[in-house]
Amino acid sequence: MFNDVVQILVPLVCFSINVLVQLSCNRFLRSVGLLKSELIGFASGLLGVFVLELYIYSFQPTLILDLLAIFAANCIIFSSLSYCYFHFVNLAVTARRIRLLRDLYCSHEGLTMGEILARYDSRDMIENRVKRLINSGQIIYKNNRYYIGGPIVLWVSKIILMMKLIIIGKKSEFD
Amino acid sequence: MIVLSVSLALFISAFIFHLIIWRIAKPKKQTKALIKIFLGTLLTGLALIYWFPSFFISEGVSISTTFFGYFHITLLFISLTLAYITTYSGMEVDSPSLVMIQKIAEKGTEGLCEKKFYDALTDNILVKPRVFDLIRDEMAYLKDEKYIITPKGARLARIFLFYRKLLNVTVKGG
Repeated sequence: MFNDVVQILVPLVCFSINVLVQLSCNRFLRSVGLLKSELIGFASGLLGVFVLELYIYSFQPTLILDLLAIFAANCIIFSSLSYCYFHFVNLAVTARRIRLLRDLYCSHEGLTMGEILARYDSRDMIENRVKRLINSGQIIYKNNRYYIGGPIVLWVSKIILMMKLIIIGKKSEFD
Repeated sequence: MIVLSVSLALFISAFIFHLIIWRIAKPKKQTKALIKIFLGTLLTGLALIYWFPSFFISEGVSISTTFFGYFHITLLFISLTLAYITTYSGMEVDSPSLVMIQKIAEKGTEGLCEKKFYDALTDNILVKPRVFDLIRDEMAYLKDEKYIITPKGARLARIFLFYRKLLNVTVKGG
Protein backbone atom coordinates (compact mmCIF):
# COMPACT_ATOMS: atom_id res chain seq x y z
CA MET A 1 0.00 0.00 0.00
CA PHE A 2 2.83 2.40 0.90
CA ASN A 3 4.37 1.74 -2.51
CA ASP A 4 1.01 2.55 -4.21
CA VAL A 5 0.81 5.89 -2.36
CA VAL A 6 4.42 6.79 -3.22
CA GLN A 7 3.88 5.96 -6.90
CA ILE A 8 0.87 8.31 -6.99
CA LEU A 9 2.93 11.07 -5.38
CA VAL A 10 5.90 10.82 -7.78
CA PRO A 11 4.35 12.58 -10.83
CA LEU A 12 2.58 15.15 -8.60
CA VAL A 13 5.80 16.03 -6.74
CA CYS A 14 7.75 16.27 -10.01
CA PHE A 15 5.02 18.45 -11.54
CA SER A 16 5.38 20.77 -8.54
CA ILE A 17 9.15 20.85 -9.17
CA ASN A 18 8.42 21.79 -12.81
CA VAL A 19 6.19 24.70 -11.74
CA LEU A 20 8.59 25.96 -9.03
CA VAL A 21 11.65 25.78 -11.27
CA GLN A 22 9.78 27.52 -14.12
CA LEU A 23 8.54 30.33 -11.85
CA SER A 24 11.96 30.79 -10.27
CA CYS A 25 13.76 30.89 -13.64
CA ASN A 26 11.26 33.35 -15.04
CA ARG A 27 11.38 35.66 -12.01
CA PHE A 28 15.06 35.57 -11.10
CA LEU A 29 16.82 34.83 -14.40
CA ARG A 30 15.31 37.45 -16.70
CA SER A 31 17.73 36.57 -19.51
CA VAL A 32 16.22 33.08 -19.73
CA GLY A 33 12.83 34.10 -21.19
CA LEU A 34 9.43 32.49 -20.75
CA LEU A 35 9.73 29.58 -23.20
CA LYS A 36 13.18 28.57 -21.96
CA SER A 37 11.98 28.72 -18.34
CA GLU A 38 9.15 26.34 -19.27
CA LEU A 39 11.61 23.93 -20.91
CA ILE A 40 13.99 24.06 -17.94
CA GLY A 41 11.09 23.43 -15.56
CA PHE A 42 9.88 20.48 -17.63
CA ALA A 43 13.38 18.96 -17.86
CA SER A 44 13.85 19.32 -14.09
CA GLY A 45 10.55 17.59 -13.36
CA LEU A 46 11.21 14.79 -15.84
CA LEU A 47 14.63 14.19 -14.32
CA GLY A 48 12.86 14.03 -10.98
CA VAL A 49 10.57 11.26 -12.28
CA PHE A 50 13.60 9.23 -13.46
CA VAL A 51 15.50 9.69 -10.21
CA LEU A 52 12.56 8.96 -7.90
CA GLU A 53 11.49 5.85 -9.81
CA LEU A 54 15.04 4.46 -9.70
CA TYR A 55 15.25 5.29 -6.00
CA ILE A 56 11.96 3.49 -5.26
CA TYR A 57 13.09 0.52 -7.37
CA SER A 58 16.33 0.28 -5.35
CA PHE A 59 14.26 -0.19 -2.16
CA GLN A 60 11.57 -2.40 -3.62
CA PRO A 61 12.72 -4.27 -6.73
CA THR A 62 9.88 -5.50 -8.96
CA LEU A 63 9.69 -7.20 -12.34
CA ILE A 64 11.30 -5.04 -15.04
CA LEU A 65 8.04 -5.02 -17.02
CA ASP A 66 6.11 -3.69 -13.99
CA LEU A 67 8.80 -1.06 -13.38
CA LEU A 68 8.62 0.07 -17.01
CA ALA A 69 4.81 0.14 -16.93
CA ILE A 70 4.61 2.25 -13.77
CA PHE A 71 7.40 4.49 -15.05
CA ALA A 72 5.51 5.00 -18.33
CA ALA A 73 2.29 5.74 -16.44
CA ASN A 74 3.98 8.34 -14.22
CA CYS A 75 5.81 9.91 -17.19
CA ILE A 76 2.48 10.27 -18.99
CA ILE A 77 0.84 11.85 -15.91
CA PHE A 78 3.75 14.25 -15.43
CA SER A 79 3.96 15.14 -19.14
CA SER A 80 0.19 15.67 -19.48
CA LEU A 81 0.05 17.93 -16.42
CA SER A 82 3.13 19.83 -17.64
CA TYR A 83 1.54 20.23 -21.08
CA CYS A 84 -1.57 21.73 -19.43
CA TYR A 85 0.63 24.06 -17.36
CA PHE A 86 2.52 25.15 -20.47
CA HIS A 87 -0.80 26.12 -22.07
CA PHE A 88 -2.00 27.81 -18.88
CA VAL A 89 1.09 30.02 -18.85
CA ASN A 90 0.65 30.81 -22.54
CA LEU A 91 -3.03 31.65 -21.95
CA ALA A 92 -1.97 34.13 -19.27
CA VAL A 93 0.37 35.87 -21.70
CA THR A 94 -1.02 35.43 -25.23
CA ALA A 95 -4.68 34.33 -25.25
CA ARG A 96 -7.15 36.72 -26.86
CA ARG A 97 -10.13 35.83 -24.71
CA ILE A 98 -8.09 36.18 -21.52
CA ARG A 99 -6.81 39.59 -22.69
CA LEU A 100 -10.41 40.65 -23.40
CA LEU A 101 -11.52 39.35 -19.99
CA ARG A 102 -8.71 41.28 -18.28
CA ASP A 103 -9.70 44.47 -20.06
CA LEU A 104 -13.36 43.95 -19.10
CA TYR A 105 -12.39 43.18 -15.49
CA CYS A 106 -10.36 46.39 -15.21
CA SER A 107 -13.22 48.52 -16.53
CA HIS A 108 -15.85 48.56 -13.84
CA GLU A 109 -18.72 49.79 -16.00
CA GLY A 110 -18.12 47.54 -18.98
CA LEU A 111 -16.94 48.42 -22.48
CA THR A 112 -18.66 48.97 -25.80
CA MET A 113 -17.32 47.11 -28.82
CA GLY A 114 -15.67 50.33 -29.97
CA GLU A 115 -13.92 50.73 -26.59
CA ILE A 116 -12.80 47.11 -26.67
CA LEU A 117 -11.30 47.59 -30.13
CA ALA A 118 -9.63 50.84 -29.07
CA ARG A 119 -7.77 48.91 -26.37
CA TYR A 120 -7.07 45.77 -28.35
CA ASP A 121 -7.68 45.26 -32.03
CA SER A 122 -6.52 42.96 -34.80
CA ARG A 123 -3.48 45.14 -35.50
CA ASP A 124 -2.24 44.69 -31.90
CA MET A 125 -2.93 40.98 -32.14
CA ILE A 126 -0.95 40.55 -35.33
CA GLU A 127 1.94 42.74 -34.16
CA ASN A 128 2.25 40.80 -30.87
CA ARG A 129 2.32 37.52 -32.71
CA VAL A 130 4.66 38.63 -35.47
CA LYS A 131 7.10 39.88 -32.83
CA ARG A 132 7.00 36.53 -31.00
CA LEU A 133 7.40 34.52 -34.21
CA ILE A 134 10.34 36.64 -35.37
CA ASN A 135 12.02 36.50 -31.93
CA SER A 136 11.74 32.72 -31.88
CA GLY A 137 13.04 32.47 -35.45
CA GLN A 138 9.88 30.84 -36.82
CA ILE A 139 9.43 33.61 -39.41
CA ILE A 140 11.86 36.00 -41.10
CA TYR A 141 11.06 39.57 -42.14
CA LYS A 142 12.99 40.75 -45.19
CA ASN A 143 12.25 43.49 -47.76
CA ASN A 144 8.74 44.08 -46.30
CA ARG A 145 7.86 40.41 -46.76
CA TYR A 146 7.54 37.50 -44.36
CA TYR A 147 9.14 34.10 -44.95
CA ILE A 148 9.10 30.84 -43.02
CA GLY A 149 12.16 30.51 -40.77
CA GLY A 150 12.28 27.59 -38.32
CA PRO A 151 9.95 24.64 -39.02
CA ILE A 152 8.51 23.93 -35.57
CA VAL A 153 5.42 26.15 -35.58
CA LEU A 154 4.76 25.20 -39.23
CA TRP A 155 4.72 21.51 -38.26
CA VAL A 156 2.47 22.28 -35.29
CA SER A 157 0.05 24.13 -37.59
CA LYS A 158 -0.05 21.14 -39.99
CA ILE A 159 -0.72 18.71 -37.15
CA ILE A 160 -3.47 20.91 -35.70
CA LEU A 161 -5.03 21.26 -39.17
CA MET A 162 -5.05 17.48 -39.61
CA MET A 163 -6.59 16.98 -36.17
CA LYS A 164 -9.25 19.60 -36.93
CA LEU A 165 -10.22 17.76 -40.11
CA ILE A 166 -10.40 14.39 -38.35
CA ILE A 167 -12.12 15.47 -35.13
CA ILE A 168 -14.12 18.58 -35.98
CA GLY A 169 -14.55 17.90 -39.68
CA LYS A 170 -13.44 21.30 -40.94
CA LYS A 171 -10.23 23.30 -41.41
CA SER A 172 -11.45 26.58 -39.98
CA GLU A 173 -14.06 27.85 -37.53
CA PHE A 174 -15.34 30.01 -40.42
CA ASP A 175 -15.98 27.05 -42.79
CA MET B 1 0.75 -2.78 -15.70
CA ILE B 2 -2.94 -2.63 -14.69
CA VAL B 3 -2.83 1.14 -14.11
CA LEU B 4 -1.32 1.84 -17.53
CA SER B 5 -3.45 -0.59 -19.54
CA VAL B 6 -6.79 0.21 -17.85
CA SER B 7 -6.27 4.00 -18.06
CA LEU B 8 -5.25 3.90 -21.71
CA ALA B 9 -8.14 1.55 -22.60
CA LEU B 10 -10.64 3.86 -20.86
CA PHE B 11 -9.15 6.96 -22.50
CA ILE B 12 -9.26 5.42 -25.98
CA SER B 13 -12.86 4.32 -25.38
CA ALA B 14 -13.85 7.82 -24.30
CA PHE B 15 -12.12 9.29 -27.36
CA ILE B 16 -14.02 6.91 -29.67
CA PHE B 17 -17.36 7.82 -28.02
CA HIS B 18 -16.46 11.49 -28.45
CA LEU B 19 -15.73 11.01 -32.17
CA ILE B 20 -19.01 9.12 -32.70
CA ILE B 21 -21.07 11.77 -30.89
CA TRP B 22 -19.33 14.55 -32.84
CA ARG B 23 -20.18 12.80 -36.13
CA ILE B 24 -23.86 12.51 -35.14
CA ALA B 25 -24.38 15.99 -33.69
CA LYS B 26 -21.68 18.35 -32.46
CA PRO B 27 -22.84 19.97 -29.19
CA LYS B 28 -22.95 23.75 -28.78
CA LYS B 29 -20.91 23.77 -25.56
CA GLN B 30 -18.21 21.43 -26.71
CA THR B 31 -15.86 21.59 -23.72
CA LYS B 32 -18.69 20.79 -21.28
CA ALA B 33 -19.75 17.89 -23.48
CA LEU B 34 -16.18 16.54 -23.60
CA ILE B 35 -15.92 16.65 -19.81
CA LYS B 36 -19.21 14.74 -19.48
CA ILE B 37 -18.19 12.09 -22.03
CA PHE B 38 -14.75 11.49 -20.54
CA LEU B 39 -15.85 11.53 -16.90
CA GLY B 40 -18.82 9.31 -17.74
CA THR B 41 -16.54 6.78 -19.42
CA LEU B 42 -14.13 6.80 -16.48
CA LEU B 43 -16.83 6.26 -13.87
CA THR B 44 -18.59 3.58 -15.91
CA GLY B 45 -15.32 1.78 -16.61
CA LEU B 46 -14.21 1.80 -12.99
CA ALA B 47 -17.63 0.64 -11.81
CA LEU B 48 -17.60 -2.26 -14.30
CA ILE B 49 -14.12 -3.34 -13.20
CA TYR B 50 -15.10 -3.14 -9.54
CA TRP B 51 -18.37 -5.06 -9.84
CA PHE B 52 -17.41 -7.55 -12.58
CA PRO B 53 -13.65 -8.14 -12.15
CA SER B 54 -13.85 -11.67 -13.55
CA PHE B 55 -14.86 -10.25 -16.97
CA PHE B 56 -11.55 -8.39 -17.17
CA ILE B 57 -8.75 -10.90 -17.39
CA SER B 58 -5.03 -10.21 -17.72
CA GLU B 59 -2.66 -13.15 -18.08
CA GLY B 60 -5.27 -15.50 -16.71
CA VAL B 61 -5.82 -13.34 -13.61
CA SER B 62 -8.90 -11.17 -13.15
CA ILE B 63 -8.12 -7.49 -12.86
CA SER B 64 -8.72 -6.14 -9.42
CA THR B 65 -6.91 -3.38 -7.70
CA THR B 66 -6.63 -1.52 -4.41
CA PHE B 67 -8.19 1.88 -3.67
CA PHE B 68 -4.85 3.53 -4.48
CA GLY B 69 -4.72 1.56 -7.71
CA TYR B 70 -8.11 3.02 -8.74
CA PHE B 71 -6.83 6.45 -7.68
CA HIS B 72 -3.73 6.04 -9.85
CA ILE B 73 -5.89 4.97 -12.82
CA THR B 74 -8.11 8.02 -12.26
CA LEU B 75 -5.08 10.33 -12.04
CA LEU B 76 -3.62 9.04 -15.31
CA PHE B 77 -7.00 9.19 -17.09
CA ILE B 78 -7.79 12.71 -15.83
CA SER B 79 -4.34 14.06 -16.76
CA LEU B 80 -4.72 12.67 -20.30
CA THR B 81 -8.26 14.11 -20.47
CA LEU B 82 -7.09 17.55 -19.34
CA ALA B 83 -4.31 17.47 -21.94
CA TYR B 84 -6.80 16.53 -24.67
CA ILE B 85 -9.35 19.19 -23.66
CA THR B 86 -6.53 21.78 -23.62
CA THR B 87 -5.57 20.73 -27.16
CA TYR B 88 -9.20 20.70 -28.28
CA SER B 89 -9.70 24.31 -27.08
CA GLY B 90 -6.86 25.26 -29.41
CA MET B 91 -8.57 23.47 -32.32
CA GLU B 92 -12.05 24.93 -31.69
CA VAL B 93 -10.94 28.41 -32.75
CA ASP B 94 -8.41 29.43 -35.38
CA SER B 95 -5.13 30.38 -33.73
CA PRO B 96 -3.93 33.64 -35.33
CA SER B 97 -0.27 32.55 -35.09
CA LEU B 98 -0.95 29.28 -36.89
CA VAL B 99 -3.14 30.99 -39.52
CA MET B 100 -0.31 33.50 -40.13
CA ILE B 101 2.25 30.72 -40.47
CA GLN B 102 -0.02 28.86 -42.93
CA LYS B 103 -0.50 31.99 -45.06
CA ILE B 104 3.27 32.61 -45.14
CA ALA B 105 4.00 28.96 -45.96
CA GLU B 106 1.49 29.07 -48.87
CA LYS B 107 3.54 31.86 -50.45
CA GLY B 108 6.74 29.79 -50.28
CA THR B 109 9.90 31.55 -51.52
CA GLU B 110 7.83 34.50 -52.80
CA GLY B 111 7.14 35.55 -49.22
CA LEU B 112 3.98 37.23 -47.89
CA CYS B 113 3.61 40.97 -48.12
CA GLU B 114 2.99 42.67 -44.75
CA LYS B 115 -0.15 44.47 -45.94
CA LYS B 116 -1.79 41.13 -46.85
CA PHE B 117 -1.73 40.12 -43.18
CA TYR B 118 -3.66 43.11 -42.02
CA ASP B 119 -6.13 42.90 -44.92
CA ALA B 120 -6.86 39.20 -44.32
CA LEU B 121 -6.94 39.21 -40.51
CA THR B 122 -9.42 41.91 -39.49
CA ASP B 123 -11.32 42.67 -36.29
CA ASN B 124 -14.28 40.71 -37.67
CA ILE B 125 -12.09 37.61 -37.84
CA LEU B 126 -9.77 38.04 -34.85
CA VAL B 127 -11.56 40.07 -32.18
CA LYS B 128 -15.34 40.08 -32.49
CA PRO B 129 -15.81 36.28 -32.56
CA ARG B 130 -13.81 36.06 -29.32
CA VAL B 131 -16.04 38.67 -27.67
CA PHE B 132 -19.08 36.61 -28.71
CA ASP B 133 -17.36 33.50 -27.29
CA LEU B 134 -17.22 35.22 -23.90
CA ILE B 135 -20.99 35.75 -24.04
CA ARG B 136 -21.63 32.16 -25.16
CA ASP B 137 -19.47 30.88 -22.28
CA GLU B 138 -21.25 33.21 -19.81
CA MET B 139 -18.05 35.13 -19.01
CA ALA B 140 -19.63 38.43 -20.11
CA TYR B 141 -23.04 39.80 -21.10
CA LEU B 142 -24.30 42.65 -23.21
CA LYS B 143 -26.29 45.43 -21.58
CA ASP B 144 -27.08 48.80 -23.19
CA GLU B 145 -24.43 48.17 -25.85
CA LYS B 146 -21.78 47.56 -23.20
CA TYR B 147 -20.04 44.25 -22.56
CA ILE B 148 -19.91 43.60 -18.84
CA ILE B 149 -17.98 40.83 -17.11
CA THR B 150 -19.97 38.21 -15.18
CA PRO B 151 -18.87 36.85 -11.77
CA LYS B 152 -17.68 33.69 -13.58
CA GLY B 153 -15.58 35.79 -15.95
CA ALA B 154 -14.25 37.89 -13.07
CA ARG B 155 -13.07 34.75 -11.22
CA LEU B 156 -11.19 33.58 -14.28
CA ALA B 157 -9.70 37.03 -14.87
CA ARG B 158 -8.47 37.18 -11.27
CA ILE B 159 -6.72 33.79 -11.60
CA PHE B 160 -4.82 34.97 -14.66
CA LEU B 161 -4.05 38.39 -13.23
CA PHE B 162 -2.61 36.69 -10.13
CA TYR B 163 -0.53 34.31 -12.23
CA ARG B 164 0.77 37.12 -14.43
CA LYS B 165 1.94 38.85 -11.24
CA LEU B 166 3.66 35.63 -10.16
CA LEU B 167 5.35 35.35 -13.55
CA ASN B 168 6.22 39.05 -13.35
CA VAL B 169 4.72 39.61 -16.81
CA THR B 170 4.31 43.30 -17.54
CA VAL B 171 3.47 43.29 -21.26
CA LYS B 172 -0.25 43.54 -21.93
CA GLY B 173 -0.06 40.54 -24.21
CA GLY B 174 -2.88 38.95 -26.17
